[in-house]
Amino acid sequence: MLKLRNVTKKFGELTAVNNLSFEVSQGQVFGIAGPNGAGKSTLYNLISGLYSFEGSILFNNKDISGLQPHKIAKLGISRTFQIPQTFPSLTIEKSIGVGNYFGSRDGFEPSYVDRIIDFVNLTDKRKKLTGQLNLLDKKMLMIGAALATKPAILMLDEPMAGSNAKEIKSLMELIKRINQDMGITIIIIEHFMKVLTELTERLLIIETGTEICCGDPVEVTSDPRVIECYLGDSHD
Amino acid sequence: MLTEIIDVIISGMINGSVYALMAVGLTLIYGVSKAFNFAYGSFYSMGGYLAFLVFGFAFLHNYLIVFCLAAPILFFFGYIIEKLLVAPLRKRDDWEVKVMMITLGMALFLDNSFQVVFGARMKSLPSILEGSFEAGEFILSYQDVVIFILSISGILTFRWFLNNTRTGMSVRAVAQNPAGAQIVGIPKEFVFSATFAISTVMVGMGGILLAQKYFVTPDGGWDILVKSWVITAFGGMGSIKGSLYAAFIVGMLEAFVGWQFGMTWTLIALFAVLLTTLVIRPQGLMGKRG
Repeated sequence: MLKLRNVTKKFGELTAVNNLSFEVSQGQVFGIAGPNGAGKSTLYNLISGLYSFEGSILFNNKDISGLQPHKIAKLGISRTFQIPQTFPSLTIEKSIGVGNYFGSRDGFEPSYVDRIIDFVNLTDKRKKLTGQLNLLDKKMLMIGAALATKPAILMLDEPMAGSNAKEIKSLMELIKRINQDMGITIIIIEHFMKVLTELTERLLIIETGTEICCGDPVEVTSDPRVIECYLGDSHD
Repeated sequence: MLTEIIDVIISGMINGSVYALMAVGLTLIYGVSKAFNFAYGSFYSMGGYLAFLVFGFAFLHNYLIVFCLAAPILFFFGYIIEKLLVAPLRKRDDWEVKVMMITLGMALFLDNSFQVVFGARMKSLPSILEGSFEAGEFILSYQDVVIFILSISGILTFRWFLNNTRTGMSVRAVAQNPAGAQIVGIPKEFVFSATFAISTVMVGMGGILLAQKYFVTPDGGWDILVKSWVITAFGGMGSIKGSLYAAFIVGMLEAFVGWQFGMTWTLIALFAVLLTTLVIRPQGLMGKRG
C-alpha cells in the first residue's frame, strides 16, 4: 500500500533520514520507534509532503514524491502531530468539518462529520472552541480532523505523549477501533514499548535516520542492537 | 465649537472606516502568510488611477461601473504578483526579507510607472454623490456618508466571506495553523495567493474612495502604507479585530490633531501613540504575545 524506496533527507550537513526503505500493507498497524532525533517525525513530514527528499514514495503504486501536502491528504494519507495542531478560534465541529470539507474526496458530508465527532467522543463538547480544550481532547480532535478526510492511511505521531495510564488505555482502544472498525491502515510513532508491542504487527526501529531493524515487534524489541541504541545498555 | 467637534468626529469616523478597510487587508496578508507587503500603498494608488482611467470614458461615468471593473482587475493583478514574485521566494531561506525587498522594488516600479503614464500632476475624481445635509452651521456631505457606508459594507462583506465561504474557512485555518491546514487538504499556496489578491482589492477600493477627497498622485500610496502599518502594529500584528479598533482610533486621532495643531502634526502624533502603545503593550491592542 505504502512503499518507501531509498528515501533520504538532508538538512545541510545533517542527514535526518538515510536511505530508508520499507513497506506498509493495507490494514496493518505499523510501528516506528527510535531515540529522540532519530528522524521519525521527519519521516512523517516526507510522507505527508511537507519536506522534499531524495528517493521515492509510492502510495497504491502511485509515486507521490514531490506532491503538495493537500494533494497527498486528498489521496488518502492523513496524519497527526506530536503537539496537537488545531484551529484555536474554530469549534470542534467546524475543525472536524474543515477536514471533511477540504480533505475528503467525497465532498462535505455533515452526517459523516457527526459520526466522527461521536467516534472520538467529543459530541458533548462539539460547540466548544478548540483553544479551550485540554490536551486529551485536543488529541482526539486532531485524530477526528484527520479521520474526517476519509484517509486510507492514518499516521499518528506519538499520540500517547503526555498522557496518563487511563488516557493511554482509551487512546489505544480508539486506535484499535480506527484500524478494525474503519479499516484504516495505521502507522504509529511511539516511545511506549507496551503500546507498540500490543498494537502493532510490524515495528521499524531507526537511529540517526537509518534502519536498525524491522519485523515482529516482540522480536524487534528483544534485538540486542535495539536494546543498545534505543532501550539502553543491558545490566549483564 | 460643538459643531466643529461634531465635524471632527465625523471626519475621524469616515477616514477611520476607509483606513479599517485598507488595514484589514494588510493585516490579512500578514496574519495568513507572515509576509510584509511594501507595495501595498502603490496598490492604493492603482485603485485611484484605475478609477481615473474609467472616468476618462464618458459612457463609463458611473462609480458602480468603476467598482465592477476595478475589483476583478485588482484581484487578478494581486494574484499574479503573488504567484510570480512572492510565492517563489517562500521556498528560500530568509524569504521574509526577500519578500520585503521585492515588494519594495515593486512599489518603486509601480509609482514610477504611474508618473510616466499619468504624469506627476494630481488627478481628481468626481464626487460619488453631490450635495450635503445642512442644519445650521453643521454640514455633512453625502459623499462622506457614501464613503462611510461603502467602507463598512466592504468590511462586513469581508467578515461574511471569512465566516461563510469555503475559501474564507480555508483562510482562517491557514492563518491559525498552516501545517495543520495543509494536512487536512487545504491548498496553502492558493490561500496565500487569494489573500494577497483580496487585500489588493481592499486597498484599491480604499484608493478609489479616498481619491475623491485627497486626489491621486504617483507617490500618494506611501502615506497610506505608513498609516496601514501603524494601524496593523497598533492593533496587533495579524489581528483583524485589533486593526478595526486601531483604524478608528487613528482616524479620530488624526482628525483631532489636525484640527487642533494642523495636519503636519498628524503623523508625529500617530507614531507617538504607536511607540507608547508598543512600549506598554508590545503585542499591540489585540495581538498575541509571540
